[in-house]
Amino acid sequence: MTRNLAELEEIAMRLRLRVLEMVAPTGQGYVQQGLGAADIFTALYFSEVRQKPKDPSWPDRDRIFLTTAHNTAIFYAAQAERGYFDTEQLKTYVQDGSTLEINSSERMGQFVEATCGSLGQGLSVALGTALAAKRQGRPTRCYVVMGDGEMQEGQVWEALMCAGAWGVDNLCVILDFNEMQCEGHMDKVMTLRPVIDKLEAFGFATHDIDGNDLGALLDALDAARETRGKPTFINANTLVGKGVKVLEGLLAHQLVFPPELSSKAIAEIREQMA
Amino acid sequence: MSEHSLAEFEAADFINRTHKPIPRSYGDALLKAAQADERIVCLTADLATPTETDIFRDTLPERFHNVGIAEANMIGLASGMARTGEIPFVHTFCAFATKRCFDQITMQAAYPNLPIKIVGFLPGVATLLGVSHQAIEDVALMRSVPNMLVLDPSSSAYHAAAVEAALAHDGPVYLRLKRPETPPAQDIVAKSFTAGKGIVAREGRDATIVAAGLSVSHALAGAETLAGEGNDVGVIDMQSIKPIDADLITYAARSTGAIVTAENHSIIGGLGSAVAEVLVEAGIGLPFRRVGLPDSFAEGGSTDYLFKKYNLDDAAIADAVRAVLARKGS
Repeated sequence: MTRNLAELEEIAMRLRLRVLEMVAPTGQGYVQQGLGAADIFTALYFSEVRQKPKDPSWPDRDRIFLTTAHNTAIFYAAQAERGYFDTEQLKTYVQDGSTLEINSSERMGQFVEATCGSLGQGLSVALGTALAAKRQGRPTRCYVVMGDGEMQEGQVWEALMCAGAWGVDNLCVILDFNEMQCEGHMDKVMTLRPVIDKLEAFGFATHDIDGNDLGALLDALDAARETRGKPTFINANTLVGKGVKVLEGLLAHQLVFPPELSSKAIAEIREQMA
Repeated sequence: MSEHSLAEFEAADFINRTHKPIPRSYGDALLKAAQADERIVCLTADLATPTETDIFRDTLPERFHNVGIAEANMIGLASGMARTGEIPFVHTFCAFATKRCFDQITMQAAYPNLPIKIVGFLPGVATLLGVSHQAIEDVALMRSVPNMLVLDPSSSAYHAAAVEAALAHDGPVYLRLKRPETPPAQDIVAKSFTAGKGIVAREGRDATIVAAGLSVSHALAGAETLAGEGNDVGVIDMQSIKPIDADLITYAARSTGAIVTAENHSIIGGLGSAVAEVLVEAGIGLPFRRVGLPDSFAEGGSTDYLFKKYNLDDAAIADAVRAVLARKGS
């Protein structure tokens, strides 16, 4: 765990490389989303949360819920790098029989805190966990990484209303606002804007930041930890494909990654790491 | 009767056309269990009195959560609480407890096999409130969910035992309850039952009625009518619809040669289907009829009226038994 930005930048780049290497063999997996969210996962797994990878069921641990459970290339890469399982296992990603399925499920182990392939459910589970932890006097904080398209699910607003009304301050929602959903740009399908106004109205402490800026992410997470009586909402504006010039900003939710493109992308990330 | 609060009268009116205050049975049992086990928490989607959890709210407020009218969120909250070592009992009407949050139940309660007890009231056709509130598909839905237990007690005398049975299962349970409409006798003996076991409520040699929930008393009344006609008909109270007591069903089928099922639910996917599956897989062919809601929706009304209208009552059950007896004899 570190707060050194240069170290964290390096980790984020390593995770991006993992994402590309995991998806390259089959072209299956969510490359654009993974590259875009690499900084969020870096900030959480390598700077913010209190966890013990050797004791994944530690009752006082902080929880990370990925409610857009399909964004697994980056999720698994972060968990393996953090020590939850052998990085060699990443090579089995989306292979038949592997527990590293595209949509993560808790059959992976305790570190997948809930099975969230059906969108809109994870926030409720995180909220229940936060409430139980509070009642039991635990220091646990619950972090929920959500997608902007996912906010179209009604249950999300049931949970947001509840978290705000009850002032659940050990809950921190990080919205991976990448503007992309299956059928294209979020604004064209069903816009979520103005998202900060909505969350303010629901009783959250809010932060609107560049989700690819690790410093901004750490600052917002710091503020969330210090906030009392309100849950926190961090709107992390991310760029899909971040780190690979030809992929940046390319809205392709279900991209089947072509081999020639993956080798180019891997080369580009390696160059930045050198 | 002493004076009662308006809340009690309101709750009474949910069920039938009565101003009698409704006594509590389940709610007292849950409170007692919670007082003995600190892990038990109680959630309701804005229906405390009608689900008898007002006593829990008033006695153990720190473990009581009214989550508002948001059933899907309630299941998710329960999941998080169960993952953190608590045993959540969630409460609303049967229709909303199952149909409205089916996906959430499968993914957040059943797949992780968490000890979440889903407690529904107003089973089948048990309310004036209309088609939206009649739960005629809930058993079919819950029976199809892996890891889920489905319990349908036949009277409030079993409610305390139902709470115990739900706690004894280290996983999700669907409990389908009907509030008592009359105060239980002071000397009532709390009855027991075990998940996976049916109860022989009446012995008989000529045919067997396999019934559950509210249909059990109608089955017993129907058997009494048939006894007057010289037919010796047995009744099994199948309180545990999943797992079902296959041994008792096949024994009854082999020893009496005719089966009628009776349920306060659609004939598709519920008790009748479960019994038919057991019989066919055991290779038993015999005269067989299902009494239940035909493939139709149900309007609101008093329970007695609806049981008569939809041919669920003792007369309808007796007719079905006469039909299987006729086929058995031919």
